[in-house]
Amino acid sequence: MALPPRTEKMTVDLDWPSVYPVAAPFKPSAVPLPVRMGYPVKRGVPMAKEGNLELLKIPNFLHLTPVAIKKHCEALKDFCTEWPAALDSDEKCEKHFPIEIDTADYVSAGPSIRNPKARVVTLRVKLSSLNLDDHAKKKLIKLVGERYCKTTDVLTIRTDRCPLKRQNYDYAIYLLTVLYHESWKTEEWEKEKTEADMEEYIWKNSPSEKNILETLLQIKAAEKNLEVNKEELLGTKEVEDYKKCVVSLKNEGDNEETLSQYKESVKKLLKLM
Amino acid sequence: MAAVASGLYVGVRCRLCLTLTGQWTGLCGKAPSRFYSGSATLPKIEGANVTGIEEVVIPKKKTWDKVAVLQALASTVNRDSTAAPYAFQDDPYLIPTSSVESRSFLLAKKSGENAAKFIINSHPKYFQKDTAEPHIPCLMPEYFEPQIEGISEAALKERIKLKKVRASVDMFDQLLQAGTTVSLETSNSLLDLLCYYGDQEPSADNHFQQSEKSEELEEAIEENNEKSKKAGHQFGVTWRAKNNAERIFALMPEKNSHSYCTMIRGMVKHRALVQALNLYTELLNNRLHADVYTFNALIEATALSMNEKLEDKWNKILELLKEMAAQKVKPNLQTFNTILKCLRRFYSFGRLPALQTFREMKAIGIEPSLATYHYIIQLFYQHENPSKGSSLIIYDIMNELKGKKFSPKDPDDDMFFQSAMRVCSVLRDLELAYQVHGLLNTGDNWKFIGPDHRRNFYYSKFFSLLCLMEQIDVTLKWYKDLIPSVFFPRSQTLIDLLQALDVANRLEVIPEIWKDSKEYGHGFRDALKEEILMLMARDRHPPELQVAFADCAADIRSTYESQDARQTAPDWPANALNYIAVLFLRGGRIQEAWKMLGLFRKHNKIPGNELLDEFMDSAKASNNPAQAIEIVKLASAFSLPVCEGLAQRVMADFAISQEQKEALRDLTSLTSDSDSDSDSDIGEGK
Repeated sequence: MALPPRTEKMTVDLDWPSVYPVAAPFKPSAVPLPVRMGYPVKRGVPMAKEGNLELLKIPNFLHLTPVAIKKHCEALKDFCTEWPAALDSDEKCEKHFPIEIDTADYVSAGPSIRNPKARVVTLRVKLSSLNLDDHAKKKLIKLVGERYCKTTDVLTIRTDRCPLKRQNYDYAIYLLTVLYHESWKTEEWEKEKTEADMEEYIWKNSPSEKNILETLLQIKAAEKNLEVNKEELLGTKEVEDYKKCVVSLKNEGDNEETLSQYKESVKKLLKLM
Repeated sequence: MAAVASGLYVGVRCRLCLTLTGQWTGLCGKAPSRFYSGSATLPKIEGANVTGIEEVVIPKKKTWDKVAVLQALASTVNRDSTAAPYAFQDDPYLIPTSSVESRSFLLAKKSGENAAKFIINSHPKYFQKDTAEPHIPCLMPEYFEPQIEGISEAALKERIKLKKVRASVDMFDQLLQAGTTVSLETSNSLLDLLCYYGDQEPSADNHFQQSEKSEELEEAIEENNEKSKKAGHQFGVTWRAKNNAERIFALMPEKNSHSYCTMIRGMVKHRALVQALNLYTELLNNRLHADVYTFNALIEATALSMNEKLEDKWNKILELLKEMAAQKVKPNLQTFNTILKCLRRFYSFGRLPALQTFREMKAIGIEPSLATYHYIIQLFYQHENPSKGSSLIIYDIMNELKGKKFSPKDPDDDMFFQSAMRVCSVLRDLELAYQVHGLLNTGDNWKFIGPDHRRNFYYSKFFSLLCLMEQIDVTLKWYKDLIPSVFFPRSQTLIDLLQALDVANRLEVIPEIWKDSKEYGHGFRDALKEEILMLMARDRHPPELQVAFADCAADIRSTYESQDARQTAPDWPANALNYIAVLFLRGGRIQEAWKMLGLFRKHNKIPGNELLDEFMDSAKASNNPAQAIEIVKLASAFSLPVCEGLAQRVMADFAISQEQKEALRDLTSLTSDSDSDSDSDIGEGK
């Protein structure tokens, strides 16, 4: 003989978090809602909740109603400390704490509480908050390779080679320290940096500079003007302009703006206008 | 609730205490000024340069123990009063409906666990794989067989550890035969083993069987109303004379006080009282000292010994206590509890010494446990005789215990609430009962409610007292709260509730109570059903209520019918038939009422006079003379004195034909002939 379901005894103002205090499977006798679920047969309705496997399969959040969450937060407030008052904007947070560490913890029901995914540690830092000069920054970016994102200026180091999260964290901090110090040092062989290694286009001693100089000299020679100074030539406004356009073209790539600027500057330089 | 609980588990706090209002003002600067001695207010800044305080103070991280977060979250939920205890599967088909069922379900669960453990321990080599991280030792198989072979002291120690009584005695004998001396310590531990188990092998089921037995004895004692002496505790002397323990004791070349103490305690445990006392004198002769546990055992021995007067026993106990003080042994809680337990046998003589003992205990500074109070209550309220006036000590006790939280210190701690509630019930004091219940709900005291039968007793008495003394609305609220999630009511409890409803004139709740009674397995209790029917049938009620009552009566009738189907000799109580018929009539179910009338003859029960009158009224209302004549026929068949009055009424009220009148006169003449002597009675009966 079966008892009638508990829902008949439930009043409207009962304390729902007490009925479902923890994550529990859906119990049709304990949930007083007329829920239906399932694909209906032709001209039928979805199946009722009693004995409905579909309702059992899906995860339910009956234990996390807004009332329950509010109560939980109230109870957990005692475990929290206060936010430092001086950190009331994002910029200040970044200024005082430039390094951000991401870790994840995993909880599951099973015989073992350990999860190998929990050892991953991700360290993010903006290079602008590190004290790097030009050479150091370029060297650092070369050293880390893909881990640096140019658009957001963020260096991301993701470590998971150690078995424990603490070890991975220590390793990530160690990597950052080493990178920083190494990028400030200048080794012997760095002097052999060729043009192919350069990250950006430098005008000085470039073939473009030499070419323009030769062209100008040839123009001047054709005009029978031999006493000209190289530096003076290079120092003129048109040449400066040309230099700027070439640099921007090389560094930023071909687009409408740079190409048109280049065209203008060449015209001005060669007095074709 | 959170404020109270957090004090327990917040380890390291930040520099100054947080006020536990559970609210913090976040980023506006007023509240956090405690953290650093800066300015009191910090203006809200939109990213501009801060010219004020730049120091960023990180508060110290709080630590807490492993279950603190869970405890905090658990404090947000209460008991669900519609749910069965969590140990059962929460499904309408699998929830127990009576206390018998719930006990058998729990026993089934436990026996399953025991069976599984038995299998694992018998074949440990199949259960070696361990996937649990971190390692859970209690789930791994245990080793019950001794590993060390050969004759050596280490082997003896191992067998003692595994609690193998026979094997260790054999090993000891073999060692002595081989000539090796066994060290004093090992001999002492062997003596411990033997004295604890009384030279018998510990049963393979461990504690399961033993506690069953003692519980049944407790129940028997309860039902005998504690009039009999506590004969249940005297298991009879189980200490065989000249058993292994004594033999080994005699064989030991040197004995220290531990050996004597163990022997004494073993003897007392197995009720060899005289030998225990003799051994104690021997110990004194050897100028050794006993420890506090031995003294406790000796006190018990003195109290249990027969053939002595109470004053002599008490004096002996006092002497023992003096010797204890002389040997500079400090008494502990068990000492005083043993004294109080023994004083119970002294009946009223024991009251004064009990209070003296209690005061002494307080003076020394030992905190009394719940068992202490239980013994005191037993002593003062043992033989209930309200006319003599009961002691008021229970009030003092409850005042002292208010708000206290207890931890388990004595095996008898769980008997306190039962005896306290019994006293409340006898004294008929509801306030006191509320106090006791409040004490039960403070802190962890709910753990002291005891096993199933004790809990049922406590709540039955509590609820009966509520029915008796409390307002009906509050009683109904308690009813919904306690039943059935905390205990299953006995039929007497339900009858009490019905009487309370009667007093408060709330009879409309009765059909619901009947529905609940069927759920809890009381659908076949005659007393309950008759009470329900009687209350429903006694007075007239508004029509909707009558209809509800009639439905309820139909339900009860069906239970009687199913009872009939099982029994060869159908037996319905006469009252039940009466009430059901009346309720059907009033509820408008005339056809069924007439069927009930037919049943009277079948079961050979006599219908009541009022019932026949009501039938007559209903026949008149439906203007059916044939029915009226039926009634008269029925009355004459039973030779009821009222038959003539009915016949006259029929003739007066109904339009009947001549032959019917003739038939009526015949009927009445039949009855009046047989009752000619009781004509005067008939006249009086009208």
